[in-house]
Amino acid sequence: MSPGGGDAAPPGSGDPGRGADDTLSPDEDGGRPPAERRADTRTGPRRLHPLTVAYQLGSTGVRIGVVALFVGAPGLMAALESGRVEYVASVLLLVLVAVAAVVGYSGLSYRRFEYELTGDTFDIREGVLSRREREIPLRRIQNVDVSQRLPERVLGIAEVRLETAGGGSTEAALRFVGVEEADRLQADISRLRRGAVAGESEAADARAEADAGEHRERLFEISPKELAVLGVVSIDPRVLSILAIGASLFFDSVPKFVEPSVIGGPEQLITRLFGPVASLAVLVLLALGAGVLNATRFYGFRLERDADELRYERGLFQRFSGTIPLSKVQSLTVRENVLARALGYASLTIETAGYAPGSNGGDGSQSAVPLAERERALALARSIEDAGVESLARPPKRARIRYAIRYSLVVAILAGGLALAGRVGLPVPPWYVALLFAPLALLGAHLKWLNLGYALGEDHVVTQDGFWIRKTHVVPYHRVQTVVTRGTVFQRRRDLGTVVVDTAGSSGLFGGDARAIDVDAGTAASLRESIPTSLTAALATRRAEGRGSR
Amino acid sequence: MTAGDDTADGRGDDADAVDSEASTGDAAGVDGRTDIDTHQSSEFDDGRVDVEDDADAVPLGESQTLDPAVRFYWIVRSVIRAATLAVVALLFATVLNQTILPLPVRTVTVTVFALFATLGVARSVLRYGSWAYAIREESLFLRRGVFTQVQTVVPYVRVQHIDTRRGAVERLFGLSSLVVYTAGSRGADVTIPGLSPARASSLQTRLKHLAIESEEEDAV
Repeated sequence: MSPGGGDAAPPGSGDPGRGADDTLSPDEDGGRPPAERRADTRTGPRRLHPLTVAYQLGSTGVRIGVVALFVGAPGLMAALESGRVEYVASVLLLVLVAVAAVVGYSGLSYRRFEYELTGDTFDIREGVLSRREREIPLRRIQNVDVSQRLPERVLGIAEVRLETAGGGSTEAALRFVGVEEADRLQADISRLRRGAVAGESEAADARAEADAGEHRERLFEISPKELAVLGVVSIDPRVLSILAIGASLFFDSVPKFVEPSVIGGPEQLITRLFGPVASLAVLVLLALGAGVLNATRFYGFRLERDADELRYERGLFQRFSGTIPLSKVQSLTVRENVLARALGYASLTIETAGYAPGSNGGDGSQSAVPLAERERALALARSIEDAGVESLARPPKRARIRYAIRYSLVVAILAGGLALAGRVGLPVPPWYVALLFAPLALLGAHLKWLNLGYALGEDHVVTQDGFWIRKTHVVPYHRVQTVVTRGTVFQRRRDLGTVVVDTAGSSGLFGGDARAIDVDAGTAASLRESIPTSLTAALATRRAEGRGSR
Repeated sequence: MTAGDDTADGRGDDADAVDSEASTGDAAGVDGRTDIDTHQSSEFDDGRVDVEDDADAVPLGESQTLDPAVRFYWIVRSVIRAATLAVVALLFATVLNQTILPLPVRTVTVTVFALFATLGVARSVLRYGSWAYAIREESLFLRRGVFTQVQTVVPYVRVQHIDTRRGAVERLFGLSSLVVYTAGSRGADVTIPGLSPARASSLQTRLKHLAIESEEEDAV
């Protein structure tokens, strides 16, 4: 997979002139039993990959260089032309000193950064001026992600990120280590974590088992067809429709505002004809671009099950891989946008407390199956959390009336706006044109209602909502944090309520909570009481089975 | 035995100690409950809760209202807010008056103040009426909300830690708030406002014990 250079091992621990060594004095190991010591001798404190300094300097250098070229060069030329050579020389000297300082600092911070994988913690010591020393207990680590962007792949280095439940951002990031070292860390953390979580004898067993060989079970591999469909459906239909509406409004109304009195005229006809065509072309191009980009990001997506954790891999130019311990799974979300639903496809997100999809910015849902045939996605979901997502209870029909009224109000406001604008003298269509949307409002209400639902399973609560992007959440009872019921004035008028089931995994940003929207108020109240009861029961069962709740 | 297991064992011992203590406490708690049903005595103190004042102990499973003083705190707060808005309106109206639109500055200011102050006062009173909480056997229950009514159930198993808070204005009114944290991502904190400081700290201790009682390895 990795193009050359991946075998450049980080420097060993036998480097004499290091002050930081005092913090990890050998007598720390003195009291440890043999098994631990064995693990330690294999690890020991390590440095990042030597190319790190060059790469980081290079990437910042390029950025600064671009700025310098645009800002500095004209100034330099001007100064040279004016003949103030000593001025130019002093500026250049200053720049040189600054560059030397930056290079020196980078080198120092590289030398002062150390990490070590001990038997039960991952330690990081870093910092030039202010030192920071961290010990992350392995059993608290939620995900271990390895990512390589294109330049990093060329250099054979990778970034390793460790996620824990605490804090809003990534707990620890190693930028950068060699590819092999990254894979070794990922595998070793999984193995040691298994040992740290299990009991003493089990730990030995687990180690022996893990040492004996890796037997991974392939759970999922994206097919070329699915990848192609992913490219097509990955753009958010809402964005598309907003863009389309915006574009058509813009291209449609501009000429009118410019020449309100003239109707027709050749140039206007052309704009009218080509405006929408051009905007459509731009949209198609945008969608295609996004699609291709997404397809390369998820190229070769694979999900494997290795003992008690999941491991994914993906990427064509970039390469991403990560581990998700099954014992840390908080909830599952099946996502289907309108297009995917029509074609029979769905995506699956696995939420842990480490991060939720979207919380890591650009890369989005990392621990997710980007797209699969609906049946495959659901089968995969069932293999992780065995819950039925097919037979959901829909909200009472009076909820649909609520949406019909809500959407009709939008139409009424539109009509009112048009009437007002027409009276003021703006060139808008007559108000009754808005009434054409009335059937749409009714259809919308029905569709919204049709995509709402919830179910209480034996071990899970399942909720569903969303028409444009339908989200089906599966929350195991033992992961429930709090249960909240809400009733707005309008909901209470119709004796309805919303139940929100909170877990530690879902992200608030994307409305990732499992919620049963607009259920009967009485049902909401009984759900509010029964879900915590199920939580208690589930925890008791798990404790009795000795699985605990890790 | 490994170093890691040593610490795990230590933790286990602690948990056992807590468990036994908790179970005796439980028995006392049951007694206390039956007592409280017949006569509102101060015997609810079940030996685990070191309450400063017995009257501040919250009986199990009974719906509690906030300290009535919280109404005045909320009213003062909303009046301050209305005054701030009135000042903004005053500035805005003055500017408009001098430029495009001749506005009766004083009327605008007074109307804005009166409107928001009235709304604020009404909301404060209604909000007080809507608030209730209960310490139940396995969960904390909150009910609140005037326009949107919200009920929250926080199982003790999920409680991470509990804070009491006293803001500057709150202190003037002799009030305190209790904040319960869970690992949940949304509404990660559950706040009970308008408690007397004694009751807040008694609740804090009590919830802490209930949380420890139902403790798990890891509440995530």
